[in-house]
Amino acid sequence: MQKTILQMDNITKYIFDEHGQALRGTTVKILEDVHFDVKEAEVHVLVGENGAGKSTLMKIIGGIIPADGGQMFLDGQEVTFSGPRESLANGIGFIHQELNLCLNLDVAQNIFLGRESQKGIFLNKTEMYEKAKEMLLRLGFDINPHTLVRELSTAQQQIVEIVKVLSYECRVIIMDEPTASLTKSEIDKLFAIIHDLRKNGISIIYISHRFDELTEIGDRITVLRDGRYIGSVDIAEFDYDKIISMMVGRKLTAMFKSTHLVQDKVILEVKGLAIARNTPPIDLTVRSGEVVGLSGLVGAGRTELAKSIFGSRPYYGGQILYKGEEIGHLHPHRLIEKGVIYLSEDRKLEGLVLEMSLKDNVTLASLKRMYPKTKINFAREAEVASESVAKLNIVANSIEQLCNTLSGGNQQKVVLAKWLLTTPQLLILDEPTRGIDVNAKSEIYRIIDELAKQGVAILMISSELPEIIGMSDRIYVMKRGAIAAELTAKEDFVQEKILSYTL
Amino acid sequence: MGNTQVLFSQRIRKFVKNNGSVVIFLILALLASLFVKNFFALNNFLTIIKQAAIPVIACLGITLVLMTGGIDLSLGYTLGLCSITVGLFVKTVGLPIWLSIVLTLLVGLLVGLINGTLVQVVKVPAFIVTLGSGYIIFGIAQIVSSGSDVNRLPASFRAIGVTNILGLNTTVLISLVICLIMYYLLHHSTFGRALAAFGFNAKAARMSGIRSEALNILVYMICSFLVAIAAILLTIRVNCAQPTMGGGVYTFEVITGAIIGGASLFGGIGTVIGSVFGVLIIKVLENCINLLNVSYYTYQAFQGIVILLAIIFENVKNRKL
Amino acid sequence: MKGLKISKKSLLIIASVVALFFILGSLVPGFLSMRNLMNIIRQSSIIAITACAMTLVIIIKGIDLSVTGVLSFCAMVNGLLLLKGWPILLAMLVGLAVGTAMGLFNGLMVEKLGIPAFITTLVVGNVGGGLALLLNAGKSIGAFPAAYVFMGNGTILGMPVSNYIMFFFVIVTSLLMSKTRLGTYIYAMGGNETVVKQQGISTAAINYFVYGFSGFCIAMAGILLSGQLDTVHPTQGEPYQLDAIAACVIGGVSMLGGEGKVYLALVGALIIGVQRNVLNLLGIHPFYQNIFVGIIIIVIVAINIHQKRRTIEISKIF
Repeated sequence: MQKTILQMDNITKYIFDEHGQALRGTTVKILEDVHFDVKEAEVHVLVGENGAGKSTLMKIIGGIIPADGGQMFLDGQEVTFSGPRESLANGIGFIHQELNLCLNLDVAQNIFLGRESQKGIFLNKTEMYEKAKEMLLRLGFDINPHTLVRELSTAQQQIVEIVKVLSYECRVIIMDEPTASLTKSEIDKLFAIIHDLRKNGISIIYISHRFDELTEIGDRITVLRDGRYIGSVDIAEFDYDKIISMMVGRKLTAMFKSTHLVQDKVILEVKGLAIARNTPPIDLTVRSGEVVGLSGLVGAGRTELAKSIFGSRPYYGGQILYKGEEIGHLHPHRLIEKGVIYLSEDRKLEGLVLEMSLKDNVTLASLKRMYPKTKINFAREAEVASESVAKLNIVANSIEQLCNTLSGGNQQKVVLAKWLLTTPQLLILDEPTRGIDVNAKSEIYRIIDELAKQGVAILMISSELPEIIGMSDRIYVMKRGAIAAELTAKEDFVQEKILSYTL
Repeated sequence: MGNTQVLFSQRIRKFVKNNGSVVIFLILALLASLFVKNFFALNNFLTIIKQAAIPVIACLGITLVLMTGGIDLSLGYTLGLCSITVGLFVKTVGLPIWLSIVLTLLVGLLVGLINGTLVQVVKVPAFIVTLGSGYIIFGIAQIVSSGSDVNRLPASFRAIGVTNILGLNTTVLISLVICLIMYYLLHHSTFGRALAAFGFNAKAARMSGIRSEALNILVYMICSFLVAIAAILLTIRVNCAQPTMGGGVYTFEVITGAIIGGASLFGGIGTVIGSVFGVLIIKVLENCINLLNVSYYTYQAFQGIVILLAIIFENVKNRKL
Repeated sequence: MKGLKISKKSLLIIASVVALFFILGSLVPGFLSMRNLMNIIRQSSIIAITACAMTLVIIIKGIDLSVTGVLSFCAMVNGLLLLKGWPILLAMLVGLAVGTAMGLFNGLMVEKLGIPAFITTLVVGNVGGGLALLLNAGKSIGAFPAAYVFMGNGTILGMPVSNYIMFFFVIVTSLLMSKTRLGTYIYAMGGNETVVKQQGISTAAINYFVYGFSGFCIAMAGILLSGQLDTVHPTQGEPYQLDAIAACVIGGVSMLGGEGKVYLALVGALIIGVQRNVLNLLGIHPFYQNIFVGIIIIVIVAINIHQKRRTIEISKIF
């Protein structure tokens, strides 16, 4: 019977800000009562949809953010980490998805940053570069340690990151999507490394969406869903359908009432658009009165597609037709004039001007329309803002309240109010209900339905399968920069099916 | 503890937060009236206003630039260039006055256009662009003037700034008009709203349909335009067109005025009233220095400390209030 | 030297200097005389010393706009003490201490209060300039002890003492950057500050060091200049602000941070020195020089940023 090294009980975490602290007064939980344990010398795979809480759980283990409830035990002793260095000092290594490297330094410098070997007051460069070279070769990678990280391919940068973490004495290593940019041969090498580590008694927590890899490398698999622990299964008993149903097996509630009808007129037509140099062309249509869902994993390219349409991002070839008119590469102000709007997934950075008031934010996209002679009519402005507040049930002390003091749900409503004020004909919504409590969510669904009833065309990006299934008239699934599937029949709107298309 | 008490202290805090420079000005004026001989006199007050009138114009310009999160270190040198330009046009070349003024204003606009384009399109950091352009402008001013001033400007030209209408100097009146226009622009027009949004969050502003690229360039142009006006008025006042007028010291003084007035270095925050009173504070201090017979050099060194305190105060205020 | 990599960019810079050298040598009378060349280096040494530190400041994505003021002020302090009869070394020490203190103050403002470097150094520079004027009511001072003037103008084994001092600074700074941990950390901070903090390295200490060192170098430059001219004029520091930045920029130090070699900044300083020298020899007014330098800075930075953005755009692809 293997020993348990790491154990987490009843871990709870509320939605948090950039400092890892729970947002004031929020009831939204990212993790609830999660249990997770890692045994010695095992490769423990962690799976779950977008937003299931995998990253958050790992961040707690890695000491990056604190838990709001529950306990963590290392070798039977309770621990709390005040920061990533403490976690590392306790033998927990974290190989992140986003690289933690200095691009302007070379490989060896990055690996040894903070722990350089010295000869007196000078660096012992010979030793460092030799050691680096040795470490790389030992793991099967032939990278010159003198190369600047900036000049390496993404895959090679990933390898440097891996080597760096492995150079610390770790007992548990978290690998977050380590194979995302690796080639087959590199993946094989990585797996060989993992086998070796396991032989030496080191445990790996492996997060990935690639099921074929999981069976090859894993010993146990744990499924998280909606921030809860669903269960753990030994790889020997792995069953694809069972795992999928554990990942999505939730009851679909009747939160979604559709009272709108899809019309024939095509509002948005995307033809042959490639979001990157090496991705296949995308075709997509949205009709008047239709809610089209866009599903897919994080990184599948949904936001990139949306931003390509909205003129915030360059794209490669193809046409974007709005009511028959080409609108590619237009400045957002022109698009908004024509009735095309994009509700960004990052409301704090791109959706709102947090330092300004609710009223100023709501009117921000409508300045030209409301005040054609540039003179601001404060009375009218207050009226309009108050109307929006009433219509969307925005909870605020006054319309002068600064947006950075509003709750997430209300912030999102302000953004929505801003866009609705422009009387749009095409809405591109990117994760419109992310991080919002249930009540606010259903209000937003109601508004979307209302708009569709008025003939507005809506393209909705969402990572929540119930939401996509409940709201959409048609669903596109994206995978690796391309459309993997289009689901038109309601019978096909099944969580398991959609998920399997995304993986 | 009654509700009215809470409300009152809240309102005081709000007033101080939004109009800190007015409060400081009043305190300063009070202290000066009590402790500095000859301060509290109508004549003296008029002098202070006269001295503040021209820098206020330039200060309003730099306030706009600061609101975008940028800076214009070429301001003082542009002043010199425009001064010698108008002087040469009016006296040496002998162009009609209105034409000379128009051409000088165009020079100002051109400087702003170049600065703005380099910052917005080429994306070179503002302090580098304007540091470099400042020196270039200084060099051009020197070359164009062969290093010498232009004196004894025609009376008809001088009349623009020196006449008295209803007891007030025309320069002060022009300054007042500009203040009113800027007040409208910044606080009552869509331009001001867009500018604030851009300064706080350029990305969100652009995605909300604000033409941020044009806005950024326009702001530098307005600033240099205002500086050109200030140059013309100052040239009239000293009756001498100088390529060395203004310079780095002037830039610094004007920026100090804006920052004391509450403009934030990070963008988004700036008010007309704040900047006007910021300049007034500086002029009151200068005035007191003169009346107290303190060395001007002391004041120059002192000025830097004042701006540091203002920045620190701003910092603390923005985080606490 | 093992591991001495000379990048394409460095080669380009050095090659253009050599070419410049030969072209000017043939076109400008008096350029290639030993005396003139030594003079160029002597005059460039002031720029070079400030550029040493400015390189570090720019690498950590900062800037030091206090050169004019701090240079004048420290030179003035040093000069006044000399005239009061203080021993040379002691007077210099005080001058250097003042400069370092002002630099550390810049570091404090940047680190603790988060005030942008350009404004805090601008202000400190202005305060310094004001104090320089204040100390002697705007008047220049001069006629320093012979030993002191020797430091500025004398020669040892045919090379001006100034040059020895300059080389010393450049070599020490170069070694610091390429062969010590601190050097690696300074580059790292300009590359990815988050990672640096994660590794437990104190970014605060780096800030204090870099700005303090800058103050120190600027003070040394001021002291050396006053030795060369045997004068301290309260506004002596004027042209050196832009020249220091220009030297770094020409020497390939990137405004986006994380990149730059001190010895190339030295080359940049020499190029500026050559430019001033040549234009003087040709009888062209110094004001043209200012314009030239201003344009060079803007153009080079623009090109540099443009290149970097293109590579960032390309790597943002899927």
